[in-house]
Amino acid sequence: MAYILFTLSVLLVMGFVGFSSKPSPIYGGLALTVSGVVGCVIVLNCGGGYMGLMMFLVYLGGMMVVFGYTTAMAIEEYPETWGSGLEVLGGLLVGLMMEVMLVLWVLSLNEAVVVVVGFSDTGDWVIFEGEGSGLIRGDSIGAGALYDYGRWLVVVAGWTLFVGVYVVIEIVRGN
Amino acid sequence: MTPTYMNIMLAFTISLLGMLTYRSHLVASLLCLEGMMMSLFIMATLTASNTHFPLANIMPIILLVFAACETAVGLALLISISNTYGLDYVHNLNLLQC
Repeated sequence: MAYILFTLSVLLVMGFVGFSSKPSPIYGGLALTVSGVVGCVIVLNCGGGYMGLMMFLVYLGGMMVVFGYTTAMAIEEYPETWGSGLEVLGGLLVGLMMEVMLVLWVLSLNEAVVVVVGFSDTGDWVIFEGEGSGLIRGDSIGAGALYDYGRWLVVVAGWTLFVGVYVVIEIVRGN
Repeated sequence: MTPTYMNIMLAFTISLLGMLTYRSHLVASLLCLEGMMMSLFIMATLTASNTHFPLANIMPIILLVFAACETAVGLALLISISNTYGLDYVHNLNLLQC
């Protein structure tokens, strides 16, 4: 399917408008999860299988689950959705209308005028058989280099996570 | 590739605007912060794939690690606010009184 990457990025913006219009946070978490799925498919379309799956695991599987539980603790009795109030609905409609008009304007640029947005190509990838073996994927090799060239960065990040857990415990303890 | 980058930068800006405006809940702003981190991750991964520079994939991974730390601390603050006031309404945070 042609123009798939551009369509997915438009869907990403629409998902972001869905939680930036500030409904009740449980619906915001739903919109963020859907946006995360769309973003993962964008990354997969550009050949980043490892990075997309890592985003699924760490982001959606880890942080969104924690957000869901925390929101369930701090929520009111009647959460307001996108259609239950003029502020949220107005924000959502303004955002969607802005995106639709932007898409129509970008699609109308027929010449390859490279100002900031040049629509000479949509950026979709074409599969070509050039290299010898297709077993060495670029993004997993790059992520593996984190543990080679970035040894000290791994140590610092691990220590940061460890100290972060202690910080969280101290904050939640209160007094 | 430029219109896709434009859309992703637009998504970052929309999340930034959503984080800077308060309605009633505090956790909605934390969600918008998560959206900003996610759009940065997607943009960095697309740049690393399109310029055929696999070593640049380190940056989104480390960004995700520190975003997870930030989320944990933000949610811990939210829990302590919710323990004190019952809900995480923003108009409860009036200790400064300015």
